[in-house]
Amino acid sequence: MEFGWTPEQIALRDEVRQFISENITPDVAAEMEEGGGRGPTVRALRKKIAERGWLGIAWPKEYGGQGKDQMTQYIVEEEFARVGLSVGGGGSGAGAILGAGTEEQKQYYVPKVIAGEISFCLGFTEPQAGADLAGLQCRAVRDGDFYIVNGQKMFTSGAHTATHIYIMTRTDPNAERHRGITILLIPMDTPGITVRPLWTVQNDPKAPPRTTYGMNRTNETFFEDVRVPVSCRLGEENQGWFIGAAGLNLDRVGAGRYLMSVHMNEDIINYFKQNDLGGYQPTEDTTVRDKLAELWIEAEVCRLMTMRSMSIVLRNEDFSYEGSAEKVWAPEHGVRASEAIGQILGPYGQLLNGSPEAVEKGIYAHNLMGSFQSGINHGSVQVMRDQVARRGLGMPRS
Amino acid sequence: MDILLNEEEEMLKKSAREFLEAECPLGTVRAMEKDPLGYPLEFWKKMGDLGWFGLALPEKYGGQGLPLTHLGLVMEEVGRAIAPVPFHSTMVAALTIASDGTEQQRQAILPRVARGDTVLTWAFTERDPRYSPDSIQMQATASGDSFILNGTKLFVDNFNAAEKCLVPCRTGHGSSGANGISLLLVDTNSPGISHTPLTTMAKDRQSQVVFKNVRVPKANLVGKLDQGWPVVDLMLDRATGLLCAQMVGAARKDADMAIEYSKHRVAFGRPIGSFQSLQHMCADMLMWVDGGQLLTYEALWRLDQGLSAGIEVSQAKAFCNEKCAATVRYCQMIHGGIGFIQEFHINLWFRRVSAWSMRLGTTYEHRARIARALLDQPGSVRLGEPSYEAAGTR
Repeated sequence: MEFGWTPEQIALRDEVRQFISENITPDVAAEMEEGGGRGPTVRALRKKIAERGWLGIAWPKEYGGQGKDQMTQYIVEEEFARVGLSVGGGGSGAGAILGAGTEEQKQYYVPKVIAGEISFCLGFTEPQAGADLAGLQCRAVRDGDFYIVNGQKMFTSGAHTATHIYIMTRTDPNAERHRGITILLIPMDTPGITVRPLWTVQNDPKAPPRTTYGMNRTNETFFEDVRVPVSCRLGEENQGWFIGAAGLNLDRVGAGRYLMSVHMNEDIINYFKQNDLGGYQPTEDTTVRDKLAELWIEAEVCRLMTMRSMSIVLRNEDFSYEGSAEKVWAPEHGVRASEAIGQILGPYGQLLNGSPEAVEKGIYAHNLMGSFQSGINHGSVQVMRDQVARRGLGMPRS
Repeated sequence: MDILLNEEEEMLKKSAREFLEAECPLGTVRAMEKDPLGYPLEFWKKMGDLGWFGLALPEKYGGQGLPLTHLGLVMEEVGRAIAPVPFHSTMVAALTIASDGTEQQRQAILPRVARGDTVLTWAFTERDPRYSPDSIQMQATASGDSFILNGTKLFVDNFNAAEKCLVPCRTGHGSSGANGISLLLVDTNSPGISHTPLTTMAKDRQSQVVFKNVRVPKANLVGKLDQGWPVVDLMLDRATGLLCAQMVGAARKDADMAIEYSKHRVAFGRPIGSFQSLQHMCADMLMWVDGGQLLTYEALWRLDQGLSAGIEVSQAKAFCNEKCAATVRYCQMIHGGIGFIQEFHINLWFRRVSAWSMRLGTTYEHRARIARALLDQPGSVRLGEPSYEAAGTR
C-alpha cells in the first residue's frame, strides 16, 4: 500500500497550480461563470492547457493523448476541477470509443475531443426509463447502410451545445431487454433532431460556479426519422448495454464526482476562517465543531474510495462493486454536508445567488438544491446499493 | 499512489488468516473468556514461531524490520478471528521501547518479545478517562536513584499476564499539561503493586492497578525526564491505529457472517438476503467496513513513514467507533432472535467490537482533535493535504 505521491506527481501538481494561479484570472473566471465555459477566453485557455500536454493525458498518443497513466490524469483533473474547468476523460463518449470503437472511429473522434472540436452529450434516460435504463424504447431500425432513429431522450444535458450525442437505442425489440441495445454516435446537426430546454431549479437565479449539480438547464431531445450511417455505431449491434455500463461505472469515479460531494466541507471551513456571522463565530460552538469533524472524516473516506478506484484503474483490474459503492457514499455524504451547512448558516443558508447578504454567492443554498441529485442521476443510491449487494456480496436476486 | 495491497501484503494477510482459522477456533475464544490467564500459551508460542512478535521490530533485536503496516494487516486478521491473546498491548509497548527506549532497555526486552517469551502492557488511563495530558495525575517522586509511584491506573490491558508495564506519570511540578510527564517502564511484580480484574463487555483481561510507594529505577525512564509526552502521544497513536485494524477485521468478519446467514435463512418463501431491505443493510456494512479499513491503512502508513499521523489516527478511530459498532449491530439484527442467545457465536464479535470502540478515545474526543486541527490554526484546509497536521494535539 502506498498513500503518498511520488516527487514527480507532486511536482506536476504544483506546476498545474502555478498555471492556474497565473491563468485563471478574474476575467476568465467571470466568463466561465457567465458563458458556462464556452466563450473565447476559455477556449483560448483550453488551447494553452492542451499545449502543456494536459488534455487527454491518459489517452493513447496515437489518438492525440499523452499516453500517461490515469493517476497523472487524476492529478491534473482535480486541480482544474477545483476551479470549475473540466479537462477530464470519463467513461462515456471518447472514453468508450477508445474501449470499443473501430480504428477509424478512434482516429476520427478522440483527437477532436481533446482539441475541443467534438463534444458528446449522453442519450440514455427516457421519460419511462430512468433507473430502469434497460427499459429504453428509442428505436433504431436498420435500413441498408443506415439506421433510422425514432424516439425521445430525457435529461440530455448539454444537448444544446454538444456536437454529438452518444445514444443508447433499441435495435432488437424481441431480444431480452439488455441484449437488444445499440450505441450510436450521432452528430447533433443531423436532420430530425430537436432539442427542447428543461430549466432546472438552478435557473432563476443561476447557481454560482462549482455548485454541486448547479446546471440551470437540461433538455428533452426528440428523434424523428433521423438517418445515420452504420459507421456511427459503436461496437457490435445489440452489445450496447455492456459497453455503456462499463463506461457508466468509470463515469462514477474520478476527480469531478469526488469534488462534487466534498468541496463544501473545505469551502465552509475556509469561509469561517476569514468570516463570521455578525460577530458570531459558529466554529467556536462545540456541536458545530463536532459536526464539521464528522463530515470531514466522511469526506476523507470519499477521497480514499476515489483513490481506491484510481488504483484499480491504474492496475487495469476489474471493478466489482467499488464504483457503485462510491456512488452511494459520496452523494449521501454530500447531502449530509449540505444539510448540516444549512443548519450552521441559519437564515443565511437560504439566500440564492445575487441576493443581498448571500454568503459566497449563495453557493451553499444552491448546493442544497443540487446535492441530492447526485444520489439520483447516473445510478441512484437505491440501485447502486442493489449492485453493491449483488455484485460485491453475491446476494441473491429476488 | 496505489493504495491497494501489494503481493507481499496480500500473502501475509492470507497466510495469517489461514493460520488463525486453523489454530484459533471459537472453542478457544470461548474458553479464554473464563480462563484466569486469559490466553492459550500453546497458541502464543505458535504466533512466536511465525515471527509475528518481531514483525515490525528492528532486525538488530531479533525482529524482521517490516513496516508497521504489515503488523497492522496481521492485527486485522487477529481481530477477524477475535483471537484471545495479549498481542496488541505487547506490540504497542515493544514498539515504544524500540523507538524511544534506551539501548539497554531495547537489548533487555526486545529479543525476548520477538521470541514470544514475554508479555508487555501499558497503563495510561486514570479516573478521568480522556486521552489527554491533563488526565495524567499519578505522581512519581524522585528519591535517590529511583522514582516512587503512587496512584491508580484503570483499564490496563493484560496486566495479569504482563511482565512489564509502561506507565505515564508526573515527575515534574504541576498537575496539568504535557510538561512534567514522564514514561516509566515498570516491573509488574514490583512491591506495592496490586491489581483487580475488571469485568469488560469483551470478557478480556483489563485491570485496575494500584501503585502504593512503588520504587522504579531512574534507568527505567523511556524518553526524556518531564518531556515524555511526545513519546506517550506516539504510543497512543500507534495503539489506536492498531486497535482500529483489529476493529475493522472483527467487524468485517461479523458482516461476512450476516451476509452468509441471509443467503440461507428462509422467510416468506425465500432467502432473506433476497429482500432489498437486507441487501441495503449489507451494502451499508460493506461500505462502513471498507471506509474504516481505508482510514486505518492510511493512518498506519503515515505512522510507518514517520509522518505526523494524529489526524489520520483520529479519523480512523472516530469512524470505526461509529461504523464498526453499527456493523456489528446490523449483524445482530439480521440474525434475529437467535443472535441474542449466548450460546450462538455472533455476540462474541459484537461484545468485542463494542468494547474496543469505547477504548483509546471516544468519537467525540477524536472529532474534537480533528476540529482543533482544522479550525484553530491559520491557513486554508484541503482534504488529503497534511498542512493542518501540525496542530493535531490531544
